[in-house]
Formats: sequence, structure tokens, C-alpha cells
Amino acid sequence: MAAAAAESDNGRGASPAAGAGRDSAAAVASPVKAKARALMELETTSASAAASESSEAKVDDGNIQEAESSLREGLSLNYEEARALLGRLEYQRGNVEAALRVFDGIDLQAAIQRFQPSLSEKPPSKRSNKLRSDSSNSGSQHAASLVLEAIYLKSMSLQKLGKAMEAAQQCRSVLDAVESIFQRGIPDVMVEQKLQETVSKSVELLPELWKQAGAYQEALISYRRALLSQWNLDDDCCTRIQKRFAVFLLYGGVEASPPSLASQTEGSYVPKNNLEEAILLLMIILKKWYLGKTHWDPSVMEHLTFALSLCSQTSVLAKHLEEVLPGIYHRTERWYSLALCNYAASHNEAALNLLRKLLNKNESPGDIMALLLAAKLCSSDYSLASEGVEYARRAVTNAESSHGHLKSTALHFLGSCLAKKSRIAISDHQRSLLQTESLKSLSEAISIDRHNPELIYDMGIEYAEQRNMHAALKCAKEFIDATGGSVSKGWRLLSLVLSAQQKYSEAEVVTDAALDETTKWEQGPLLRIKAKLKVAQSLPMEAVEAYRTLLALVQAQRKAYGTVKNGTEDDYDKVSEFEVWQGLANLYASLSYWRDAEICLQKAKALKSFSATTLHAEGYTREVREQKQDALAAYFNAVSTELEHVPSKVSIGALLSKQGPKYLPVARSFLSDALRLEPTNRMAWFYLGKVHKHDGRLADAADCFQAASMLEESDPIESFRSL
Amino acid sequence: MGYKSRSHAIDAITLTSSPPPPPTTTTMTSDTSPQPIQSARAAVDSLATVLGGAFPDTLASADDPAAVLLHDTGVARAVVGRLRGAGSGVGNDGLCRWLYDAFQSNLPELQLAVLRFVPALAAVYMSRAVSRKPLAGFEAVLLALYAHAAAQRGAGEPETVTLPNLANPSVYHDAKVPPKTKAAELDVAVLSPALEPHGTMRATRRARIVGAVLELYHGKLALMPLSSKMDFCEFCVAWAGNRSKLDDKPRVAPASKTEGGATAAAADEKWRRVPLPWELFQPALRIVAHCLLGPTNSDELKAQAAHAAECLYWRAAETMDARALLATRSLVRLSQMTEEPIPEPSFSGGVENMAELEAMRANILSTKN
Repeated sequence: MAAAAAESDNGRGASPAAGAGRDSAAAVASPVKAKARALMELETTSASAAASESSEAKVDDGNIQEAESSLREGLSLNYEEARALLGRLEYQRGNVEAALRVFDGIDLQAAIQRFQPSLSEKPPSKRSNKLRSDSSNSGSQHAASLVLEAIYLKSMSLQKLGKAMEAAQQCRSVLDAVESIFQRGIPDVMVEQKLQETVSKSVELLPELWKQAGAYQEALISYRRALLSQWNLDDDCCTRIQKRFAVFLLYGGVEASPPSLASQTEGSYVPKNNLEEAILLLMIILKKWYLGKTHWDPSVMEHLTFALSLCSQTSVLAKHLEEVLPGIYHRTERWYSLALCNYAASHNEAALNLLRKLLNKNESPGDIMALLLAAKLCSSDYSLASEGVEYARRAVTNAESSHGHLKSTALHFLGSCLAKKSRIAISDHQRSLLQTESLKSLSEAISIDRHNPELIYDMGIEYAEQRNMHAALKCAKEFIDATGGSVSKGWRLLSLVLSAQQKYSEAEVVTDAALDETTKWEQGPLLRIKAKLKVAQSLPMEAVEAYRTLLALVQAQRKAYGTVKNGTEDDYDKVSEFEVWQGLANLYASLSYWRDAEICLQKAKALKSFSATTLHAEGYTREVREQKQDALAAYFNAVSTELEHVPSKVSIGALLSKQGPKYLPVARSFLSDALRLEPTNRMAWFYLGKVHKHDGRLADAADCFQAASMLEESDPIESFRSL
Repeated sequence: MGYKSRSHAIDAITLTSSPPPPPTTTTMTSDTSPQPIQSARAAVDSLATVLGGAFPDTLASADDPAAVLLHDTGVARAVVGRLRGAGSGVGNDGLCRWLYDAFQSNLPELQLAVLRFVPALAAVYMSRAVSRKPLAGFEAVLLALYAHAAAQRGAGEPETVTLPNLANPSVYHDAKVPPKTKAAELDVAVLSPALEPHGTMRATRRARIVGAVLELYHGKLALMPLSSKMDFCEFCVAWAGNRSKLDDKPRVAPASKTEGGATAAAADEKWRRVPLPWELFQPALRIVAHCLLGPTNSDELKAQAAHAAECLYWRAAETMDARALLATRSLVRLSQMTEEPIPEPSFSGGVENMAELEAMRANILSTKN
């Protein structure tokens, strides 16, 4: 390094000492030579003072003065420079306290006064901020470098002695001095390397010292000063500071005011708060890495992951993960992370495709976290349930061998997937097998982990679907106990289970209690249940009233969300206005208020033109008014809009079964089809029984009627699938 | 079935549903606390009355009473011990009234002293609220803090984050694209949804209210004493409720060590796992992250925070909540990485230079001769 400095000095060829030397080493500028001599002389001093080990050499004040005066006399160094050299030597030897005593004698202000005129006696012209490169300049640069380094070392010494606040003040004075010497920033070239190094190190050190001293606002200011002023830092140093600043912003617990607007151009991004500034810095660091300007630091990606996950921006995170160059993450790890990102951003299909690649037998088929995620993903979709069962089974096996604590989770997802799969089973036999298995998995999961409310809830739903209302009721209550009634779906499950047991008034008590625990804004689903409970209790006026309240809420919500997109994820918990009109239409139709029913239907249609539900309701109003052809046409339209619309199929079957013997086979096929889709539809069983009866198959008819009557005793006012 | 079981069901239902006595704020102020707290000195005096014998006498005459309330370990131990004790948090709990009055004094330093107890308050409240105990005292304090947070934020304003797009320049970098072209689209994320006004603690909003109070605490973290943060991490472990799942690791910092005598009294109370929806999970995680990665010199705190982060990770794994998994996994990984040290001064090639120095020395010696 000194050789490099010597070379550049040679290049300039104006060093006053150049002629004196006999070999290349002598061409070094005088302060370097002075340094060398000082070092040498000090070595002799301390060698004479101390007995054997030079690192143990004690320097007392007498020694310092002696050494200093000999340095000053012999080398025509000034007082500050001599002290700087001495202190530096002490520091190098690990005598921090001694170094501090030496450094204490340096008057930085005085030194700066001396450097300033020589370094910037003529303020540089506005065009160029380069320093003049004459010899006197380089000479005083050496001197300045020496003194500044001394103050920097002083700051380090103080820090080592645990005096962070004083250390920070010293360190700041280094930067202040540099700023007053180089008023227009440090130029890229023609600054002595040593000086640049001292500057860089001080810039990097200062915020850390403030942090250690607990002066967080100062730390914040010094980070910004480090990054926004021109210190001519190299990329690595700058990256380190950016990262530390980002970490400080993310986790510092300090509310920082945003950076000033002064230096910002139009169209530029202005961070408004800590998190934005931190994310910006982290992204910049990653970009620098992509461009090869800095080395890879795994923590940067983790910090960014944390920050972006906090604000639910995992799709942005996915983009950054994709940009990471190959060779950093193993592909399976990258796929898993990307799957998490996609799943959190509700891109389920993309997430599942990534997991399929990962769980391929050639990759890591036994990765338990990926298996669990895949199973969870599949459990939300009927068509994927089978696939999910496979993943979950593998996860269970894997959990048994190595991840014991994940076994209940694996069993939980297995139960959910099996339950989902049972809903689309083709045969009764298969369905009951799957249902039994699902319950078995869920209860095994509960036996391992008694305290997971989600598990209890899913168990309750499964019991309810299987019409085991007693057990379902127990689960629903347990869920409410475990969550302290804080989860709305628990209340709803309880009311529906009670309604299925025909305990309408109790269901209403529960619904009212739930309404008490719920803010107005989120009462939609509960109000809907309440309205349906009133209908079930044949209290039409109260039902209308409940629907009216619900309608007011829904319309208010539509207005509020029409303007501001709230961005929260509770959308699935909302009742649509369409549903309300639909419910009202059915209610009025059942009361034979045709005009009102018609109006409600029109309203519903206006919101959703081609809806099987509306068409079905329309058919119903026609049917009650004996307009059979129109009714049938409406029902068929409903089925063509939605191929698996069960109520329409049942209605068609029912209507046809009344049309005479030649329609009975058609009616029967529609009803059987409906029962395939929804085996617990009691109306379908009832009409199927009628078809059998008309056809003279009395035993079959009796079975169907029995099924219908049993189901009637356990029919909830709303499908459990609406939860 | 029949009537009997039905009425039993009703019993259970009404029990579950009966809302706690409304913690109307008026009852808190008017009852037995005749004059509102107007100075830190008054706060110390009234706390001494509330705590009785447990109040350390040395503090009655402290120079800076607010700082004492915030930092003194004796006071903290007494207050936290009382908060965690059996029967705390009921409607007429004197300590809750003190916290409420001190916070309503609107003196910033007293408000800090109240915020210091947010971890204990939230933890005790959350685990007891699940068991449906009357907690009007806690609720009044939490609602007051929530109202403060809502007022600070502004009505109906969510806290948003505008994500940077590096195609736009910023103070920290230049963009390749000249800024004259249209600025690239920015994604806006909601960090914390708008805080609606809440006069009572409704069960379904409990997590949101406590979450917002934690956000308030998070904003003042830099000013909070170490023991308060230690408390929080300890409670997070309890909230996650899956300690047994971790491979029987010895607990990083046993509660008794950090809490001293206070835990001995409260040790009997079993801390329950609580529901952790994202609205509560997220602010809790931010606080844990601060304890783990923020500026602190306490290795004990870092270890406790690392443990909390791990527990939260496994809690997220229970439901495979992808967002929570990503965030907690990063924290766990970061806790295992070592921090890059600040570079030491290098004595530019001191060793490499030695030969050169020797040469110069020889050179000088020869000139002298």
C-alpha cells in the first residue's frame, strides 16, 4: 500500500524529498519517511524503557514527552503529528489507555485551522470539485491524514473502554473536520489512500457508536449523513452501512422522520416511514449484488422477507426471490419459499405447482414442511382433495419418524383432505369410508394436541356434515371456549348446529350473544342467520325486519368499500346484497306476496343477471302460482347456468313427479343426481320417495321417506359449507 | 335429548355469551379516585397508596419520579407482580385505575411509564379473557390505550406502506430510466388497518384492540426498559403455547430469573395459549424482532427473543399460515447468523510494510553516519 502511495507520488514527481533518497523507498513523501523514523525511534525508546516485551511497554507521561520531543526535534514534526504517531503505535500494541492519554493532547481544531488554507485556500471553482494536486497539497494531506486517523483511533479507544458517548463525539469531530477541509465532498482521485480509509472507517463507525450510546436519533442522522453526503465510500463499505441502517430502521423501535425532501428530484421515490426506507435500502443492496458490485449477504434477503411479509406483500417478495442468481439457494429451498409467497398471496395454483416439483421423487419427496403446505393447499379445493390426501399421508409417516411435534398438524390436514374428498365421492360406500377415516385422523390429531382450536372446529364441522349433531354441538362449544368467543365462525357453527337440532330459540340466543361480541360492520353473516332463524320459526314479520337490518348494513358496506379498497382479507365474511334480495324474495313468495317477491327478484337480477339461485327462485314463484311450464323453463335455465345446482334439480324432479307416470323415470334421475351431489338433501329424498310410491315400489318409498324424516330432524337453516 | 340436555345447553350458552360488565370509562374515573393525576409526583404518591407495603419507600423521595416509574426495577416488580396476581383486572382493581388515570394525565413521561406495563397487561388479559373472567379493569386500560392509538393515527386511516420500485430514483440510488418518463407504478400495502372507535371490548375485536395497543408499545420500544421487553418475550412463548413441541430444550431464560419474586407468586397461574390471528400475531412479531435484532447489549434478551421467535414459528406451522411462516422463519434464521462486526482499524499493511520500514531505517541510519 505504501508502495502504491509512493508510485503516485512519483507520478506527480514534485515531492520535495524526492531528490534526497537513494533508492525507490526514499522517493516516498516526507511524512511517510517521518512516520517510519518515528516508528523506529519509538521502538528504541520503548525498548530501552521496558525490559523485554515491547507490547507490555508502559508509557507514562514522562516517556511520552520524551519521545514526543525527540520526534519533534529530530524530524521537524509538529506537536499534533508527533502525538498522532505515538498514540497510533500504542494503539497498535493494544495499550488502549496509553494511546488515549497520548491522543488527549491533540487539538483537532488547531490542526484543522492549519490544514484548511493549504487544502482549499482557493475555493475550487464551481465547475470542478477536484482538489488541486500540487505538492504542498499532498504534504498537508499526509499531515491531515495522520491527525484525523489519530482522532479516529481515539474514538476507537474510547469505545473499547466503554465510553460510547465520548467515542461518538470524537468520531463525529473527525467527520466534521473532513467536511470543513473538503467543503465540496471528497474527490474520487488524489486523496491519499490512508486518509480515505480513515474517513470511510469513521463514517461507518459513527452510527454504531451512537447506537451503543443509546442516542438513537443521532444514530439515525449519522446514518443518513453517511449515505447522503459524498464520502467517496467504496461499494462494500456503503453496502455495509446501508444494511445496518436498514436493520436499524426495521428493528430500532425508533420513530424516524422521513429523509428531507431537499435533495429529491421529481418522480423519485420518497420513503415516508421506517419500513419504506428499510425496504428501499434492502432492495438497493440486492440490486447491487445482482450487478456484481458487492458480495452476497444472506441476511439481506431474510430482512427483506421479514419486512415484506409483515405488510403481506409476498408477491413482491416472490419476484425478488426469483431474481436471486443461481447457486445461492438450493432449488428445493427456493421452490418452497416461492410456494409460501404464492400461497400467502392466494396464488394457490402457482404454489401447488412449485410444491409438486419439489415433492417429486427425484427432488425431496419427504420434505415435511412442503408436504404439510401442499396438503393444506389441497384441503381447500374439492378437486385437489385426493392429491392432498397423498401428501398428508406422507407427512404423517414422515412426522412419525423425525418430526414428532408436527404429527398432529399432518393428521389434521389429512382429516381435512379426507373430508373434502368424501364430499365428492361417487358411491355411498366410498363416502362413508372416507368420512370414517377423516374423523379418525382428526380425533387422533386432537389426542396429540388438545389445545388447537382449529382442529376442534374442523372436527365439529365434520360431525355436523355427518349429521352427528350431538358431537358437533360439543365441538362448537369447546371451540368457543378455547377462543374465548373471539372467532365469529365458532358462533355461527354453534347456531347452525342448534338450528339443525330444531332448537331455534336457543340458536337465536347464541346469535344474539354473537352479535353482542361483534362490531356492527361484521355482523352480516350473523344477521343472515338470524333472518333465516326467524323464517324457520314462522315469524315472517320479524324475518323481514332482520333482512331489512342486514340490507342496510350491506348497502352501507358497499358504499364504503366502493370508494376505498380496504385491502383486508375479510371479504369472504361478507354477505352480498344479492343474497339479501334473494332471501327476501323467497320469504315473500312463501307468504304469497307475489308483487313483493317479484320486486325483490328484480333487484337480485339487477345485481347478478345469470344466477342459478335467482332463476330457481323465479321458477319457485311461478310454480306456486301454478305456471308450471314457466317454472320448469326457469328451473332448466338454472341448471344450465350451473350444472350442479342441487335445488333446481330437486325442483325439476318434484315438478315432473307430479306430471303423471310417464315423467317418473326422468324425475327419478334428476332426484338421484341431486342426491349424488348432496346426500343430505331431505327434499330430494322426500320426492324420490314419492316417485317410488307412484311407481308402486312401496318399500323403497318407505326407506326414502324415513331418510327424509331423519334428515329433517337434523337440517340446519344454512348449509355448513357456507361457514 | 329432551328438555334436560336442552336447558343444559342453554346454560352453557348463556355463560359463554354473557358479556363482561361494560367497562365504561366513567366508572373508572369517578368512583374512588377523586382528583385526576396531574403530575408525576402525584402519580408516584397514588401508586404508593395502591401498592401499599409493596411500594419501595426509597422512591417516594426520588428526584425524577417519572423516570423512577419507568425504570425502577422495584416498582416494576411490584406492579407486574400485582398485575399477574390472582384476582387482578376486575372492575374495581386499584392498580388498573392507577394505570388508567396515569395514562389519561396526558403527561408523555407518565404515559411511557404506563406503556412499560403493556406486556404484562396484554399477556394477563389475553390469557384470562379466554377463560371468561370479569376483567373490566384491564379492559378499561386497554381501551384507553387503544383510543389514544386511534387518535394518534387519525380516524379511519390505515397505516400503509408504499413499496419502492427501483425503476424510480430515490435519495439513495439513481435509476437508469430518466425520471421524465412516467414514474413506475407503486404497490401500496396495508401494514395496519384503520382503527375504528371501540367503546367496549367485544370478543371478536379483542385481538385487534390488543394488537393496536402493542403497536403503540412498539412505537416507543426504544424508550422501554429491558425488563419490560423480557416480559414480552416470555409471554409470547406462553401465547404460542407449544413449548412442549420443542425438543425439550432448556428454556433460555427461566422466568424466575427475570421476574424475581413476582413470578413466585404468579407461578401457579398457568399461562394459556391464546388465539393469535394475524392482527395480534403481526405486532407481537414486530416487538420480538426488535428484541432480537434491535440495538441492545443484552444477550439474555436476544436469547429470550430467539426462543419466542422459534415458538411463534412452530405456532404458524400448526396452520401453515404462509405469511407468518415466512416472517418467523426469517427471524429464526437471522437469530442464528452472526452480526458482521464493525471493521477494526487496519494499520495499512503494517506487516507488509515492515520490510520497507526496515529499509528506510537502514537508509536513515546510513545518512546519519
